Amino acid sequence: MSILNPKTKHGHPGLLIVIEGTDGSGRSSQINKLREWLAIESYGVMVSEWKTSRLIGRVIDKAKEQNLLNANTFSLMYAADFADRLEHNIIPALRAGLIVLTDRYTYTAFARDVVRGVSPVWVRKLYDFAPTPDLVFYLQTPVDILLKRIISTSGLDYFESGRDIGLSTDFYESFKIYQSRITEEYTKMSSEYDFITLNGNDNIDAIQTAMRENIKALLNTGIIK
Amino acid sequence: MRLNKDHNLSGTLIVVEGIDGSGKSTQLALLRDWLTSVLGDIIFTEWNSSKLISETIKEAKKKNILSPRTFSLLHAIDFADRLEQIIVPPLKAGFIVLADRYVYTAFARDVARGVDPNWVRNMYGFSVKPDLSLYFKVPVKTSLDRICLNREPKFYEAGMDLHLSNDIYESYKLFQGKVITEYDRMVDEFGLIQINAGETIHNQQLLFRDIVRKKLSEKGIKV
Repeated sequence: MSILNPKTKHGHPGLLIVIEGTDGSGRSSQINKLREWLAIESYGVMVSEWKTSRLIGRVIDKAKEQNLLNANTFSLMYAADFADRLEHNIIPALRAGLIVLTDRYTYTAFARDVVRGVSPVWVRKLYDFAPTPDLVFYLQTPVDILLKRIISTSGLDYFESGRDIGLSTDFYESFKIYQSRITEEYTKMSSEYDFITLNGNDNIDAIQTAMRENIKALLNTGIIK
Repeated sequence: MRLNKDHNLSGTLIVVEGIDGSGKSTQLALLRDWLTSVLGDIIFTEWNSSKLISETIKEAKKKNILSPRTFSLLHAIDFADRLEQIIVPPLKAGFIVLADRYVYTAFARDVARGVDPNWVRNMYGFSVKPDLSLYFKVPVKTSLDRICLNREPKFYEAGMDLHLSNDIYESYKLFQGKVITEYDRMVDEFGLIQINAGETIHNQQLLFRDIVRKKLSEKGIKV
């Protein structure tokens, strides 16, 4: 670590802010708005999204298309993607003092992998090299709302519906069961990891305002230079 | 962790370990020929050979873009995929499965690269404990001489990513020396059976077959 910053949770000069939530919870619209706002406020910002590493992002897509993955392999592939982005994007940006916004973080893996039958302890140890975020926003959205949003936009996806774990042969039912279990895992984690839980059913601007207030409060402490 | 418990599957898992040039693959090939001639079908698998990801690993190695962490994770993916597709089903069906390198390769190499020993052991905790694990021990000088008969050491094999030395031969000796230290440590930790790979191929094979014969007879298989 080049410069130590005792005020951030990870010790780097920059700030690490995580947005979590299931598919259709509105994470990316919130991140776009945060990015614009922070830039206007004259902060350097970098966004990093789940499963976008050059190393393995595309391999995961291909394997998912062919439905090739068992739970352990699935989990390890995402961990490799995460480690590569961490080393090449996230940590360098934090060292340079930027505000890093991440669309999903290790908590996504903890939720998904545990629902797929992997041990919670195992997956937490697997990701123990991840820097602790300074803020974690969790967009909690009721499953019936998620269903409507997703059906009216991208449509139900095989993995988002947990079809790979054989919950139900009915897509709609499978999605409901799977997303409820994911939500349960997020809820369990919210106190374990100090999530700031926001109601994903509120309108976009109200959620954005709540996020900005939390970030402003943190910035006002002089946490980064 | 499954790795620390007997597997209770009807098949038998035999693995060979050791650094490059230790002769383990030669020994496993001889064992395989023998077992095939006596018992029929034998399942064989080797390190970094899954359809899922081995090509990606080879590409990434060529470009030297792997950190110790991603190097470790990618090999774990390869292993996890082969475990579920190639190793476990035949073990359930009662076959003998021979593996050229197993999780101990990762424990030795990754830790020699500076990865935390507990982290990598936890990561591979889902693997099946082998019935027999043989470690072919060879001095680093011999290993280098054997490799150099047909090629020079490769970048990661020589640990060039660790910047131990600019000279690839020197780096190989330093890095593989660390790998040997890790293997030696695991002899007690995991009950690896150490074979002196300086012995003749014939003598090593006789010993290997004795050990296998004994293990198989415990399971009621005569060879």
